[in-house]
Amino acid sequence: MKREICKILCGCMIAGLMAGCGEEPKEKQTDSSVKKEASEVKTADKKESAGETNIKIWHDGDESIMDTMEKDVNEMLEEEGIRVSFEKKAALTDQLKLYGTDEVNGPDMYFYAHDSLGMLAEMGILAPLSDILDTASLNGDLNEMTLEAVTYKDTQYMVPVYFETLLFLYNKGLWEGDVPDSTDELYAYMETHTDTEAGTYGVLNQHSTAYNVAPFINGFGGCIIDKEGNPGLNLPETIEAVAYNQKFAALQADGDYNTVTTLFNEGKASAIIGGPWLLSGIKDAGIDLGMKSLSEFTLPNGKALAPYSGVQGVGVLKHSAGAKKDAVEKVLSALASEKVGVDLVVNNNCASANEKVYHNSDVAANEMVLTMKKTADTAEPMPNIPQMSVMWGPAEGFLAAVNKSNEDVSQAAEDFQKEAVTAISDIQ
Amino acid sequence: MKNRKKATPWLYSLPAFLLIGIVIVFPILYTAYISLTNMNLYHWNDFHLIGLENYKRALLKADSGFLSAIGTTLLWTAVNMGVQLFLAYFIALGLNAEGLKLKRVYKTLLMFPWAMPAYVSILLWKVCMFNSEFGLLNKVVTALGGTKLNYLSENVPAFLACTVLNLWMALPFMIMMIDGALQSIDASLYESAMMEGAGFWQKSIFITLPCIRPIIAPSAIMTAFTTFKQFDIIYLLTKQKGSLTGASIQTIITYAHENAFVSNNYGLSSAVSILIFGIIILFSVFTNRGLKEENS
Amino acid sequence: MRKRKIRQALSLISLNTVFLALCFITLVPVLYAFLLSVSDGSSAFAGGGGPRSFTLENYRRIITEEPFLLWLKNSVVLSLGTMVLAMGFATTASYAFSRYRFKGRMKILFLLVLLNAFPQILSMFAIFRLFKTFGLLDSNAGLMIVYAGSMCIFSIWNLKGYFDTIPMEIEEASKIDGASDFTMLVKIVLPLARPAIIVTGVMVLIFVWNEYLFATTFLLNGDKYTLAGGLYQLQANDYSRSWSLFTAAAVLVSIPILIIFFCIQKYMVSGLTAGGVKG
Repeated sequence: MKREICKILCGCMIAGLMAGCGEEPKEKQTDSSVKKEASEVKTADKKESAGETNIKIWHDGDESIMDTMEKDVNEMLEEEGIRVSFEKKAALTDQLKLYGTDEVNGPDMYFYAHDSLGMLAEMGILAPLSDILDTASLNGDLNEMTLEAVTYKDTQYMVPVYFETLLFLYNKGLWEGDVPDSTDELYAYMETHTDTEAGTYGVLNQHSTAYNVAPFINGFGGCIIDKEGNPGLNLPETIEAVAYNQKFAALQADGDYNTVTTLFNEGKASAIIGGPWLLSGIKDAGIDLGMKSLSEFTLPNGKALAPYSGVQGVGVLKHSAGAKKDAVEKVLSALASEKVGVDLVVNNNCASANEKVYHNSDVAANEMVLTMKKTADTAEPMPNIPQMSVMWGPAEGFLAAVNKSNEDVSQAAEDFQKEAVTAISDIQ
Repeated sequence: MKNRKKATPWLYSLPAFLLIGIVIVFPILYTAYISLTNMNLYHWNDFHLIGLENYKRALLKADSGFLSAIGTTLLWTAVNMGVQLFLAYFIALGLNAEGLKLKRVYKTLLMFPWAMPAYVSILLWKVCMFNSEFGLLNKVVTALGGTKLNYLSENVPAFLACTVLNLWMALPFMIMMIDGALQSIDASLYESAMMEGAGFWQKSIFITLPCIRPIIAPSAIMTAFTTFKQFDIIYLLTKQKGSLTGASIQTIITYAHENAFVSNNYGLSSAVSILIFGIIILFSVFTNRGLKEENS
Repeated sequence: MRKRKIRQALSLISLNTVFLALCFITLVPVLYAFLLSVSDGSSAFAGGGGPRSFTLENYRRIITEEPFLLWLKNSVVLSLGTMVLAMGFATTASYAFSRYRFKGRMKILFLLVLLNAFPQILSMFAIFRLFKTFGLLDSNAGLMIVYAGSMCIFSIWNLKGYFDTIPMEIEEASKIDGASDFTMLVKIVLPLARPAIIVTGVMVLIFVWNEYLFATTFLLNGDKYTLAGGLYQLQANDYSRSWSLFTAAAVLVSIPILIIFFCIQKYMVSGLTAGGVKG
């Protein structure tokens, strides 16, 4: 063994000594041989599709949703010789910052939520849709709210495909009586049905996650950030909303995503405020699920809860808007089509952005999608200005300080407002 | 002949230096360059030099939060290094005790935490140990009749939680290093010490520690730096987006991350990075003394 | 005499107990994770504490539904490649720093520590730019350079520390026998430094094995990912994370490293105690 180790190390060192002059070619060689092996499957793919235009779309979402779209679009565009492939990239926006201008390695399009739109647009890596196609004819069937969401500084950068809002989801087997119509009654229900020591809960919410508290903040007339990019954490309305939410938070366990979803799926909680992404887990757990739109709950001030809506859509990177304009145009139209919309509803419970889809009978039978559609009327699209990307931190710091560390609401509001102002000024 | 002799060590180190140049020196220089530009969201691809503007801003930002972050970081490094070296030394000694037949099994099992990717370990601890509803700790507490505790919502418990996790993740390496160092000690030294009737502590102080010190010193110093710039544990455990736990522990690196990196202002955050790097250099001037001793 | 034997036996028993307890404490989170990994998805974190049913379904899913074996192969290729590269470079360099007295030696060593203190995450952008220029993105060679470079300083320091403890006399003796510097390094110094070389090599290996940030950023094709990178990608966001799958993956990633640990321990006995000095 001794001798073998010697031999190996000897080899390494010779390589080491030689490397000074001969590094480059050696590396290249290993590189290409490895590449050959690793992407055999891929080259086979490519050969088959000689003469086709390949469109690479990066996403960071649910693979089954992407599969639905990929399959539909490829079917529709087969004759045109266009092939799309959805590739998952974790931390998508960080990746786009690096690869956004990289024609060789980067994607042609990306599929993501609309709230990072302003940031990417300001970086100058996105192409306005009007450069590629006639937006008026494309938008004809698309929902008003979703179009507003994908428009930044009067320019449309994305085709909205589906949207998500938070819903009130309850376990029909556990919920006693009717689901109330006001948040005060909801609180009363929670008070009588929560036993934190036993670990059973009435209504759960991710009480320190900004997205999940936004229905309260917006409903009270406050905001996390306004349209001009001014943070609103210390607005009296926001403070009122956060103080109101604090009462709820005390009865909502830890409020972390994993905790609340598991509690609900385990049957330890009668209801949860959550999005459509929870559905598959709930189904697997065999829960008899009921749901209600958040806009059907009224706050003490008489207004309805107003959740944020997140629009998932597809945007085009600048370089492919030039080189692959025609193919990109067809892919965009295909993604906005009624067929993709219906399949997304039926297969994945996604609320399509295409209004025509809702005339379909299969869609009309999908309770979850209809509930989200109902919520869309009062829902506010998440702000898409670049300042929003730095607001999550301070907003959630604020909520966690109030809900988890028991800090004084007004004091915390001032502290985190200051932090938010600094964060925003750091962008420039 | 003499010239050749002079060049030999350089020749031997050349490939390594080349590698270090590419992967470490170049990025530092590049970061320094970016820190002098106005690269930010609005000048992503068309940035230009703007002088020391970013440094001015970074220094103005260095408010009380920054100073307390430095304090926390020093405390964090000292506590972790102290406990780590102490525990690892005794565990490694135990592993080298004569007649311990199962030591290979023990060693392998004790290495387990090291064999897991960091983010996996951290998320595992967050959910399986510290979680207030499902965490093992609270299950034990409630089984003993206590009330559920929240380990990560206040600074002091969260600091301790991070320390425990860091020890869990870092101890295997230390144990292995010290274990390896212990192997290098000439057994005859102990034999003669035994003859003279030296006890455990005397052997430790006069033989073991002096013998392993030069071998341990580099890895201890390296680990001190790793601990100093530890980001994952504190960030993933308490500050992950969407699941802040309420604790507001801030080390220099998390402070920089929160204050500069989220904003996409690469010019400014590069300036902050370079300043932090400067602080680390200052910090290491202290360790420098220890190093020199080592090699005199 | 007999008394001593009894005392020895007693202390061994207590030592064994301490280590059993220590191993147990260390392994508690891992055991808990293992329990989760063999429970079916919906009953993860079941109220009772333990899993309700035993199943290997999660392991089957990871191995068959994801390109697990491909990722495993990539991890092996990358980590072995990096190990050879880093150790080859570092051994020669550290030997030079240990054995030659040249101008600026201590300064350079100290400088290396300082350089190592630069948080690597901050280097990402610069390395990206560099690799883009040289076409090293999306290639194993590029990643090997990054990894080897990251571990190089550590390896140099580590090995140098150990080389320093090997008495010069041994080499001087063989120098008289007419061995050249290089053969001496290979034939005499390296075998003596075996524990350090093994430890350092394994360090490099584990670093690469567990690294995911550079892997997922610089490799663009899912087929090229390493195990850690691929699993990170799979489980990166809360919404798609299934805990039982996640823990199964964690256990699977760790096992190869544990096997390596177990195997190398035989060779960890120092060359010195094996008779280098005395013989």
